Amino acid sequence: MASTGTTLELARAAKARALDVFAPLAPVVGVGVTRVDGGYGVKVNLESAPPAGTPLPAAVDGVPVKVEVVGRLRKQLPD
Amino acid sequence: MQLDSVRELKAVLAESVLAPLTVENMPKSFALAAGPIRKVNEPVRSIALGIAPRGKNDFRLAVRYQRRELEDSKELETIKRRAKGEADVRYIGRVTKSAAPPWTQQRHRPLRIGTSVGHVNITAGTLGAFVTVRGGDGKPHILSNNHVLADENRGKIGDTVLQPGKYDDGKDPADKVATLSVVVKLKKTGSNAVDCAAALVDDKIEIDAKSIRGLGKLAGIGSEFLDEGTAVAKLGRTTGLTRGKVTAFELDNVVVGYDIGNLRFDGQVEIEGADDDPFSRGGDSGSLIVTEDRRAVALLFAGGEVGGSNGQGLTFASPIRAVLNALKVDLMF
Repeated sequence: MASTGTTLELARAAKARALDVFAPLAPVVGVGVTRVDGGYGVKVNLESAPPAGTPLPAAVDGVPVKVEVVGRLRKQLPD
Repeated sequence: MQLDSVRELKAVLAESVLAPLTVENMPKSFALAAGPIRKVNEPVRSIALGIAPRGKNDFRLAVRYQRRELEDSKELETIKRRAKGEADVRYIGRVTKSAAPPWTQQRHRPLRIGTSVGHVNITAGTLGAFVTVRGGDGKPHILSNNHVLADENRGKIGDTVLQPGKYDDGKDPADKVATLSVVVKLKKTGSNAVDCAAALVDDKIEIDAKSIRGLGKLAGIGSEFLDEGTAVAKLGRTTGLTRGKVTAFELDNVVVGYDIGNLRFDGQVEIEGADDDPFSRGGDSGSLIVTEDRRAVALLFAGGEVGGSNGQGLTFASPIRAVLNALKVDLMF
C-alpha cells in the first residue's frame, strides 16, 4: 500500500526502479516526479496502453505511481 | 468522365469560351483616355474552370462563376452543353486573398520573442529568446532548438536562419536574420539533456530581447525547482500565447520522435494546457516557457496529442539552466 506524504527524495529515488518494473509491461516514454496523495510520487508515461488485463503496480518501493498514456511524442514542427 | 476527357474539355472551353470573356475590358486601341493603370489592366471576374472528382476515376468539369449576371449567360450555357451535363456549377463571388497570418507567423523587425523562425532547410519553429555567448563580444544570438536552428545536427555553423521560417513564407536572402552559431548535438544513442542551438543575429537586424507579446517584459530566470502545479505560459509560433501548469518534473527516458530517429531525454519538464486548450502544437518548438512573473524556466521542444487532464496532450521542455549551460550562453533580459 502506498504511503501518503512521500518525500521528494524518496520519489526521485524510485524513478529508476519504476522504469525497470514498467518497461517489460508497456512502452515507457517517461519516468518523472509528480504530486500524489498530498506528497510526491512517480509519474510513468506510456506511449500506448498495455494489453487489457495487464496488472500495473500502484506503487514501487512504497512510492505511489501515477500512470498515464501520453501517445507518441514528437518534436514540435508543423505537420 | 475520365480525367483526360475533362482536362481536354477544360482546355477547349478555356480557349473558345473563356478567353474572349476575360479580355472584354482590354484596350481595343493604343489611344486610351488617361486613367489609373489598374483599371485598364485589371482582370475581369468571370468564370473559372477546373476538375471536380465525383468518385474513384470519375470526374466532372468544375465551373465557378464570380458574377451573378453570368448565371444566365450564353458562356455558361455553352459550357454546360459541351460538358453534356457533367459539370459541377457554382457561384463563388469575389475571391480575395485570405486573412493575414497570426502575429507570431509574420515577419518582425526588430526580431521578437515567440515568432516564427527556422534554419533555411526546415519548416518553422519558434524564436525562444535572445542570448549572449559567455566571455564573448556581447552580440545577440537567437535561442531555439537544435531541430529548429540546426536541422537536427545537419546544419553547419554559418548556415542561414530565416524569420519568418520557410513554412511562413520566409525567403532566403530577403528574410535572413541570423547565422547558426552554437549547436548542442543531438545524440542518437544514450541520453540527451537538451535540444538547443543558437544563431548569431546579423549586424543590421534589430532585436527586442524583452517583450513577450501579451505577457509583458521578460524578468530574468526563475526558480530552478519547478514543482508540480507551477503556473507557466509561453508565446509560440503556432498556438500563440498559452497558459498551463507543470504536471511532472525530472522526467527521464522521455522518448521523442525526430527525423533522425527516436531520441531519449533525461531531466525534462512536463506541462499541460489550461482549460480546454493544448499548451503547444507543431511549430511551437523553441518557445521560451516562463512563470507567471515572467521568469524563464524552460525551453519547449516536444509534445504529444494524447493525455493531460483536458485530453489535449502534454508538452515537454528542458530546464532553462541546462539549456544555457550546455550552450555556454546567458539569457538577455
